[in-house]
Amino acid sequence: MDLLPTAEQDEIVATVRSVLANHHTLGEPLNDSLWQAAADQGWFGLGLDESMGGVGYSIVEEALLFTELGRAAVPGPFLATVIAAHVAASEPNAATVAALVRGSDRAAMAEPFDAERTSVLDGPGSTWSLINDDDGLRLVATDDLGPADATDALDTLTPLALVDQRATASAPVVVSATDPEPLRLRATLLVAAMAAGMAEATAAQSVAYALDREQFGQPIGTFQAVKHRCTDMATRAEVAVCQVRYASLALRDGLAEAPFHIHAARVVAVRSAVENAEVNVQNHGGIGFTWEHTAHRYVTRARLLANQFGTPNGHLADMLSATAPA
Amino acid sequence: MDLDFTPQEQVFRDEARTWLAEHLPTEERPPEGAEMRAFDLAWQRTLFDSGWAGINWPTEYGGRGLTDIEQMIWYEEFARAEPPFTLNNSCTFVGNNHGGPTLIACGTDEQKSEHLPKILRGETVWCQGFSEPGSGSDLASLSCKAIIDGDELVVTGQKIWTSYAHVADQQELLVRTDPTAPKHKGISWVICDMTTPGIDIRPIVTMSHVTDFCEVFYDEVRIPLTNVVGQVNDGWRVSMTTLSFERGTAFMADQVELAAVVERLIEEARHRPVPGGRRRAIDDDEFARRLATIRAEVTALRAMTITGISRIRRSGMPGPEGSMIRLFHGELHQRVYRLALDLLGPGAMRRTGIDGDDTWTGAYLQSFAYTIGGGTSDIQRNIVGERLLGLPRGR
Repeated sequence: MDLLPTAEQDEIVATVRSVLANHHTLGEPLNDSLWQAAADQGWFGLGLDESMGGVGYSIVEEALLFTELGRAAVPGPFLATVIAAHVAASEPNAATVAALVRGSDRAAMAEPFDAERTSVLDGPGSTWSLINDDDGLRLVATDDLGPADATDALDTLTPLALVDQRATASAPVVVSATDPEPLRLRATLLVAAMAAGMAEATAAQSVAYALDREQFGQPIGTFQAVKHRCTDMATRAEVAVCQVRYASLALRDGLAEAPFHIHAARVVAVRSAVENAEVNVQNHGGIGFTWEHTAHRYVTRARLLANQFGTPNGHLADMLSATAPA
Repeated sequence: MDLDFTPQEQVFRDEARTWLAEHLPTEERPPEGAEMRAFDLAWQRTLFDSGWAGINWPTEYGGRGLTDIEQMIWYEEFARAEPPFTLNNSCTFVGNNHGGPTLIACGTDEQKSEHLPKILRGETVWCQGFSEPGSGSDLASLSCKAIIDGDELVVTGQKIWTSYAHVADQQELLVRTDPTAPKHKGISWVICDMTTPGIDIRPIVTMSHVTDFCEVFYDEVRIPLTNVVGQVNDGWRVSMTTLSFERGTAFMADQVELAAVVERLIEEARHRPVPGGRRRAIDDDEFARRLATIRAEVTALRAMTITGISRIRRSGMPGPEGSMIRLFHGELHQRVYRLALDLLGPGAMRRTGIDGDDTWTGAYLQSFAYTIGGGTSDIQRNIVGERLLGLPRGR
């Protein structure tokens, strides 16, 4: 029993960080060079079997990757593309898997928006759309969704469109997950992993600012009001990171209580990401309220993330109905 | 990273479960006084006789020499067995969780062989003498003075918030041995025999009606210099060791028990109507969400506890991350009982004890101690902010 990353896992994290540092600037749109670098690094098939063209790591390493993507607040359809590759691999549809893994195809994320409409995130440039609704988890061609009604997105780096649900229901299915639940759990955990990374990033941003910014002749981190908010942020991030790690191991090992731990991870991590993002703006004062500063990026991304692969309320209900570990 | 228990750990768990099923006391723990002490010590002795005391203590002092993981497994099995009392309330808590571990880390061979076996065998009760009326959060300002006279310390002053002083044999006592030195440099950590002449113990009744809280007065109490743990005037460092155990591993039992408390609360919500209504409480959106949130949090607390154990295994000692766990745990413990009282509705008007079958309101009142004892939440936040995050000192 050990919940600290191994040396090999630390190495994976360090590599991911250096790739992100070279190809991504916080607050900038998705860079094609990053997408290609991600494909070259095997990120889109990190947790896929080598027989399917993947790297052959487990959900544990995939979760470490997504924690870093969350930390850097990278926009772009990483989650939908990775899950789409898993969906395609489950059929299996080798050609689609290969196109997704090598980065030439991307997958947008499509989920119910309200009673009549489906939201599509990152539609432009995505060959496929990954639809997650009551009818299952499946890939359709984005072009088959018909005319999209582009809408201003809260997260300005993630294009949002609304399409009629009749279009999502009638679009020809390219690949469909025969058993969607395990992949939904995987995606739920990866959402939690991203959220945990975001919670850590905002805690770090606040601590750095509290050390740097001086008022009344001293760094504002000297004052308990600020220091204690930073501490609470770091604690919320730690809570999220620990539970995400535990849940990823439980899923990797196929434990019966894995769903329970994944729902717990999702609940605590998404809440940590949202709360930390909000407090981070407050800690930065006036500059934090500006467009120029990056604090708002975490606010809008956390709100976006909270509504992917389910909603906060839906996951609370799942948490309460999950079977507790024996 | 792995969730695997070794074959040895699995055998340990099976043995603990079997043993607890046969040996767990069924009678209620007496609420106070000599009967309570006798009950707690008898349980400690029973544990020792069967090899369940000092699980993570060295074998040379009567411990099992196992790891914190086995200690946690024991707590998990204890909680699963639905005991009629909680380990956190036992008068053996200080001996097992800070006095003992501090001696293991900083004591002399004589001190260890004198005291550790007695703690494990259930022969002595330890209490803590850290806080004073004028020194709470600012512990290092303590003024209970000790003058060196030959081979003895002569202690005069007062301590406060000392649980179980009235039934204790020994005390971990912080005294000022050098009033001229900077405040952190003139403190000593000494073992005080509570039967020494000159000690006056007075009870303080708590808001939870517990009567084992005390203040202790010292009037020229003579303590052998050989009872100093660490060096004279090096007591601050020793006390930080004590507190790192308190913040690191001492509350593992409570952290584990809390998960069982939350499951009981969810069971209550399945069977009780929502206060003022007819539906089951669990079908009420607000209660359902609060229960789900707290269930997720207590699950994450276990992951944090295991992460803490993993860190201790690598570094040897609990680090400042322990304050993060302690902070989260203390506030979560309170949220659990706050939710319980909201869920009880008019049932919250009834007073219960803190041990036994029905403990909701008693434990609610007791829960206020969880963000005060062992350093208030504000102090824990300072520790995390300054030692872990590197923020500047200052108040």
